[in-house]
Amino acid sequence: MFHFLRWLPAPFLAVLLIAVGPLLSGCAGPDPALGASEATQLRFEPVDITFHPDDRDAVNLRIVNSGSESVELRYLGAVGPYGGVLAFEDESVTRLLPGLGTQMTARMSRPKDMRADPFLNEAGAQNGAAGIAFEANGKRFTVPVRFERPTVWSAHVGPGLVKILLLVMAFIMPLATLLTWVERKQSAMMQDRLGPNMAGIRIGGVNLRLWGLLHAAADALKMLFKEDFIPRHAHKVLYTLGPLMAFIPALVVFAIVPFGDALCYGHLGDVLSQADIDQCATGRGGTVLQIANIDVGLLFYFAVASLATYGTTLAGWSSYNKYAILGGLRASAQMISYEVALGMTVVGALLVYGTMEPHALVRAQIDTYWGIVLQPLALVLFFTAAIAETKRAPFDLPEGESEIIGYFVEYSGMRFGLFFLAEFIEIIFASAMVATLFLGGWALPFDILGASGFSSAAAGAGFFSVAGLAIIGLGVGAMRADEQRAGVFGAIVVLIGFLHLVLAVWCGFFPAFATELPHGAVVLIGMVTWGLKVAGLCWFQLLVRWTLPRFRYDQLMSLGWKGLLPLSLANIVFTALVVYLMLPVMEPVLEATR
Amino acid sequence: MTITVKKVSFERTPADQVYLPAIIGGLITTARHFFQNTLGKGQPNIETIRYGEPGVRTEDYYPDRFRGVHRLMHREDGSVRCVACMCCSTVCPANCITIVAEDRHDAAEKAPESFVIDELKCVVCGLCVEACPCDAIRMDTKVHMHPTEERAQAVLGKIELMRRGEQSVAVQGGVGATYRHDAPAGDPRFDDAASKPRSGGDPV
Repeated sequence: MFHFLRWLPAPFLAVLLIAVGPLLSGCAGPDPALGASEATQLRFEPVDITFHPDDRDAVNLRIVNSGSESVELRYLGAVGPYGGVLAFEDESVTRLLPGLGTQMTARMSRPKDMRADPFLNEAGAQNGAAGIAFEANGKRFTVPVRFERPTVWSAHVGPGLVKILLLVMAFIMPLATLLTWVERKQSAMMQDRLGPNMAGIRIGGVNLRLWGLLHAAADALKMLFKEDFIPRHAHKVLYTLGPLMAFIPALVVFAIVPFGDALCYGHLGDVLSQADIDQCATGRGGTVLQIANIDVGLLFYFAVASLATYGTTLAGWSSYNKYAILGGLRASAQMISYEVALGMTVVGALLVYGTMEPHALVRAQIDTYWGIVLQPLALVLFFTAAIAETKRAPFDLPEGESEIIGYFVEYSGMRFGLFFLAEFIEIIFASAMVATLFLGGWALPFDILGASGFSSAAAGAGFFSVAGLAIIGLGVGAMRADEQRAGVFGAIVVLIGFLHLVLAVWCGFFPAFATELPHGAVVLIGMVTWGLKVAGLCWFQLLVRWTLPRFRYDQLMSLGWKGLLPLSLANIVFTALVVYLMLPVMEPVLEATR
Repeated sequence: MTITVKKVSFERTPADQVYLPAIIGGLITTARHFFQNTLGKGQPNIETIRYGEPGVRTEDYYPDRFRGVHRLMHREDGSVRCVACMCCSTVCPANCITIVAEDRHDAAEKAPESFVIDELKCVVCGLCVEACPCDAIRMDTKVHMHPTEERAQAVLGKIELMRRGEQSVAVQGGVGATYRHDAPAGDPRFDDAASKPRSGGDPV
């Protein structure tokens, strides 16, 4: 039964091989200076400062001595054509020991002389328009200061479009389409059968069947080509509006999902610090990886998700079919019952982390503990309520499928396809919400990935070796598959896994490779981690669907009102008690996220 | 054999009421099947018959009594066994068999000039096979009627139906009432329980 256990010695051997690197490097001496060469002994956090016209807050500039010898620091003042608009407060520290840092604050004051105001002068908004100069051990360092006049396009529309493309078009829609295939294939694998594997495409003389992946495309094409009709007495406007009201909220609600920390445009190859990322998150020189930065993000989720209830009710009502109306009533009653429990469970996380903004929630989880540690009951309740909200098995009696007529009985073709796709997008969204609220979003466990790289060479080696072993395991499994050319595909996957192991060994021999990652790599690892968490939770939802029998409708309602709601209220009370008793300890965390 | 009484309680324990332990147990079971079949050694245990694949012949998997496309059987000289008695077209509930008879200038007297089966109308009931007195029509080809582009392509004529045929087991003129009793011992056609000699010798 557990034949795969014979692979168990392999990871240990691989780890032994990988551990050789750090052991050897440990013998070699202290790590080379972060930031490499001698010319950059000082590390500035943030690397550059960007001001907008209305900024009145100070920016904290930290200067850290990352070299191995102490530094005589002298502050030379503001330089550049618009240096005069900067005002400083510094600590006047002149000697920095290795590893220590000092902090100064820079503030912008708009000059009364309009010729010196960079925001009224075209040439002001460029890099290097001003700078803060330091001298250390005879060498001169300058922190560039940019003045930006953000337009609606550059500050909101442009980054928003890019993020929509990146998140929705490049991740969610392909994943939703793939999920239609994964559902059928995974259910087959769980039930000891093969699943779809026949749809193929002939390229040259080769018929590519690709494990039946093309069945997803075949399903989509089938729905597009079906006859599009409206029942004779159905209400035409509402009948068309039903699928739209179910589909649009499912996509709109992705605006508040954070899939990474922040992206700094100009520094993709540089090693950045958390101060840089925080600056980019406010829109200066970068963008936060979340489509909309709403302070009450979670309320936005509940508000928009409630709109999906309209879709099902309209669909049932406008079909001019008694059974569809009853199905619509069942669906809407179920959805509103579980929305209550959904909202209540999230209040627990809100109490613990002190913020409703999803990006700040994830940062709070990174700073303290993940939600799964602090709010395990809320995780179970939220997941259950989310599955019930999306009318996914075992709560899918409204759509029934094999026993009862659902609310979309009169829909066919692409109208039904919109309901179908909306359901899969909601699956992805429920997984994304659980990942954001309880599983730390884009962060790796034990916080091994920071803004500038892994926390240590061992952490980097550990990450790459775990990833490599997992990929090799998948590749070996793929090689065993009973499909044509599975061996080739599996071999490629094993090769990629082996490359990861090589990277892990590389981390051991060159610690700076792991601890100083360029910003682009850090963002990429964060996004991939988030994507893997979401995909894993989607897999788990499909597992639940094909394992559990369906709830009867009265069982479903009593579970929602008599089971989940009291438990979530109890969770709130208990969490509030614990937070109140531990307030002195948690005050710094709440302050940080405010 | 002693009778023991075992009390079984149908009360729901607290663990049952929470649902989660049983759910998690079930999820582990299905997840184990999933990983065995996807990544592990489970794949050979999947018993799905892969119809449509090049190497898979339906003939190997269908039971003997499977009713597929019809075929017309031959005589020893290769001509069609059918004597156009119209039994099959009469009994067919879907009226899909059309026969036009012609004169056969020998002991068999009649043969079908045209024998047309509209496979689209056929309900695959097998009554024609049961009705035929001379083993002229069989449905044991173990091949489905494949989908066609045109309706006319599914109307099969005599030549098409004879293409799959082989020599029938019928004998012209019949084999007599005592055929089972008189058959040679090793004849495979009569190798069933009804052919074994019965006490009393009554052939019926």
